[in-house]
Amino acid sequence: MPNIDRREFLKLVGAGGVSVGAGFMLRESTKHPREYLIPHVVAPEDISSGLSTWYNSVCSMCPAGCGISVRTREGRAKKIEGNLSHPVSQGRLCALGQAGLQALYNPDRLTAPMRRNGEGTFEEITWEQGLKQVGDRLDLLRAAGRGNRVALLTTGVRGHLAQLFESFMRQLGSPRLLHYDYDHPHTLYAANQQFFGEDRLPYYDLQNTRLLLSFGADYLSNWISPVHHSLGFGESRQGPADVRGRFVQIEPRMSISGAAADEWIPARPGTEGILALGLAHHIIAEGNYSGADRDAWMAALADYTADAVAEQTGVPATTITRLADSFVDTAPSLAIGGGSAGNHSNGVDTLVAVNALNYLVGNIGQEGGLVFNPEPAGPALQQHQASYSTMLELAEAAHHGEIDVLIINGTNPVFTLPPTAEFESALAQIPLVVSLSSFLDETTALADVILPSHTYLESWGDDFPEPGVGFSVGAVSQPVVSPLYNTRGTGDIILDLARRMGSSSVMPWQSMEEFLKYGWQRIYQRGDSQTLAQGFDAFWTSVLKAGAWGETKSGNTAFSLNPDVIAGIGVAPPEFSGSEDDYPFILHPYLSPNFHDGRGANLPWMQELPDPMTSIMYGSWVEMNPLTAQQMELSEGDLVDIQSPHGQLRVPVFIYPAIMPNVIAIPIGQGHGEYGRYAKDRGVNPIQILSPQLEPVTGSLASSATRVNVSATGKRVKLVKTGGTSRDLGRNIIQTTGGSGVEVSSVSSNSIPITEVTS
Amino acid sequence: MSLFSRFLDGWRKYRKPGYYEKFDYHWTMTVDLDKCTGCEACMMACQAENNIPVVGEDEVARGRELQWIRVERYWEGEYPNARLRFMPMMCQHCDAAPCETVCPVSATYHNQDGLNTQIYNRCIGTRSCAVYCPYEVRYFNYYDHGWDSPLEQQLNPDVTVRGKGVMEKCTFCIQRIRQAKDLAKDDDRRRVQDGEMQPACVQTCPTKALVFGDRNDPESQVSLSMDDPRSYRVLDELNTDSSVFYLKKVDA
Repeated sequence: MPNIDRREFLKLVGAGGVSVGAGFMLRESTKHPREYLIPHVVAPEDISSGLSTWYNSVCSMCPAGCGISVRTREGRAKKIEGNLSHPVSQGRLCALGQAGLQALYNPDRLTAPMRRNGEGTFEEITWEQGLKQVGDRLDLLRAAGRGNRVALLTTGVRGHLAQLFESFMRQLGSPRLLHYDYDHPHTLYAANQQFFGEDRLPYYDLQNTRLLLSFGADYLSNWISPVHHSLGFGESRQGPADVRGRFVQIEPRMSISGAAADEWIPARPGTEGILALGLAHHIIAEGNYSGADRDAWMAALADYTADAVAEQTGVPATTITRLADSFVDTAPSLAIGGGSAGNHSNGVDTLVAVNALNYLVGNIGQEGGLVFNPEPAGPALQQHQASYSTMLELAEAAHHGEIDVLIINGTNPVFTLPPTAEFESALAQIPLVVSLSSFLDETTALADVILPSHTYLESWGDDFPEPGVGFSVGAVSQPVVSPLYNTRGTGDIILDLARRMGSSSVMPWQSMEEFLKYGWQRIYQRGDSQTLAQGFDAFWTSVLKAGAWGETKSGNTAFSLNPDVIAGIGVAPPEFSGSEDDYPFILHPYLSPNFHDGRGANLPWMQELPDPMTSIMYGSWVEMNPLTAQQMELSEGDLVDIQSPHGQLRVPVFIYPAIMPNVIAIPIGQGHGEYGRYAKDRGVNPIQILSPQLEPVTGSLASSATRVNVSATGKRVKLVKTGGTSRDLGRNIIQTTGGSGVEVSSVSSNSIPITEVTS
Repeated sequence: MSLFSRFLDGWRKYRKPGYYEKFDYHWTMTVDLDKCTGCEACMMACQAENNIPVVGEDEVARGRELQWIRVERYWEGEYPNARLRFMPMMCQHCDAAPCETVCPVSATYHNQDGLNTQIYNRCIGTRSCAVYCPYEVRYFNYYDHGWDSPLEQQLNPDVTVRGKGVMEKCTFCIQRIRQAKDLAKDDDRRRVQDGEMQPACVQTCPTKALVFGDRNDPESQVSLSMDDPRSYRVLDELNTDSSVFYLKKVDA
């Protein structure tokens, strides 16, 4: 609008005369304060007003590595969808991935570098100040040969950023490069290493399988690659006209995958591996395995008869034999294990037992079974995944004053480690804690210097999904909008710090983009003659445009089992922390489908997305079997105290029809003390009361092995949820049909069960 | 012609069975309950596409959430045989919609594509439509919720932001339909091709449980899906003639 009022207007009219001049003067006078909708004289070529521009990139909201397409208009990101040409997501995306927009436009983002001042509060500084403070310290340490007193703790990253971290730490001469995520499946990697001798995961071909046995792996909501698994699930269920894939889920508390399964089987927590061996025993005993090593298997599995296993697992012997028979009869079939089944003291053995099942019925290397992945096309990296024990060592080193500088990137160990790890006090012992986080999470709040990174939608990066999809896949993550604030890309910050400590000869790249292009030269060289003829620039543009790169090279096809594995097979009963008398319940903490390990809690969309299983929003709850609740005279919304040997939480009860009577479940994700207005002071964090029980092979936290007791407080709250009555009540809303026919069978019951709680 | 007879004429014309089939498009959705996993990606896609505000904890506790598509959950049986079934529920775009006849200002009406549409700036907020809707898929703006800056930068410029006192609901992403029709027109094509546009929920569904398309095209994916022997319509006994078909869950 012209900045002109009535008086001004009249003056102008008077000055220029009422005729032609008025119009001229008016036009002239309004020229200066003009605002443009798109403030460019010549708009950038990728902005046409009124038209959307789509950029392909990579999702970083969870470790799956889905390809995404981001719709932008006038330089702003509007919508994230799956990238159709990326083999992992194939155009689809989960709720958390789509909510990535709210990480970008989050009101609680860190907008500039900050430093803790004398009063203990943060004050804004310039990038030069921040980088100089950190860079000088690093340079000093390196020059003094004390670079090993620097630690770099990052969330799990892959591709060239991981390589950059590696070179950076090599320059410092420090071995302390740790990738830490609460949910990294250490036991799965270890089990596969033992069984297959590969340190990467195989591809689980859900799409072509006809029977899936899942031992605790919630593959549809947060196990490894949920979107890709969902694609496979849909395809297996109703893809082919003649056969319909059958899905069986074995877990103590029904997860989303359990609800979607055709059969949900509760086995006692930690006995999933014993159950798998029970199945294996039956398969061999029935003569359904004829391999040369049959006798060795028979000897190893002698103790796992159906009856003995039924005794230990609580699963009826008839179910065991039926499952084993159908696992043999249905081909191709597949057994997967993970999630809570891997988070016990016997985690690795459990997952080895699941692999044994696949081996015995010949699912390995088969379509519809598990297929080995080729070497990733990305940079060759060492394994830096930090287990709970590694984090304990880091904390201990800090307590002993062995760490001078800790750089933290994107991970939030103060939230995702139990207090027994004493990580918070360890941070206080480190003279310089640098956080590269985009948000003020619990860990960043304890940092001395904050050098805020771009979100993934503003920065350069790349990803080579792990596990792959049976062939090599890579994707470049490109910025889809210009940076909103005074932040920088993680890679750029690291490169800048490297320059400041005099490593520019080894790490000469000026920016992450340059480094990426350098690294992708090697991938370009793998191309065929046609690709090579086009030149690197054309190759690079095509990769950016498609959002994905792949080659059809497949992994190992030959597999022979190391005979030592057979002899070593066996699953010990799980060990729990706390005595059964004092702590009668087993705590089942599970990753929230909405918040993953808590990282999604600062997104208002995710807070207001009902939990899929309970429809609860905004808070925490503890799930309890209806009968248990009835015995304890508890109903929905009653506040109870959950006490473990290591802590206590107060949380409302939700009556959950599909959980074992002696198990209670609390979702992980809420209970933040920091992390922005949407996450802060909401719900509880069950990690806070976990006992430091370890899985001995990997040193990872046996997070499902804590015993608790539950006591009523007499107080009540109203759970915020959207679901009304949770039963169909004869309305025939959800209809079902038998296996193949079109018969309608109304499954709803007209009576309200006694356990139904109506508020 | 008196006002009454005009009204009667209109009523006869527009309430005749089969009336909508003579239009070019008859947008329809099918939901395969056997594929739905309850992951709620559809809900998030809808929220992002259609500028649906976050209402906050207190409002949700009062039952005033805004979710054009929601995932309903129904438990069956008791432990250990308990089962949970999911059902995505959105505006069913009934061809005999109870909500349309009760609006005193005709803010909700049926358009030429078989869509049940809502004119926001005509709505006066009587909420009668929400009372009459048997599927309870109409949502009312009790407040101007707004967006904490800079979250408003994400808003979809193709979709109106609704204010206080206005009823809203699923539109089958009418903005995408319009765009596809415009493109088809510009391309000198007569019809929008099957699969050329999808509402946000269908686009993102990780298991491909949702299918959307034109029922008038007998070859379209949605027409084939509709004819599946498992196909049924929710609360069909109310004769709402809805445009969303569900495929029965298979118990196996």
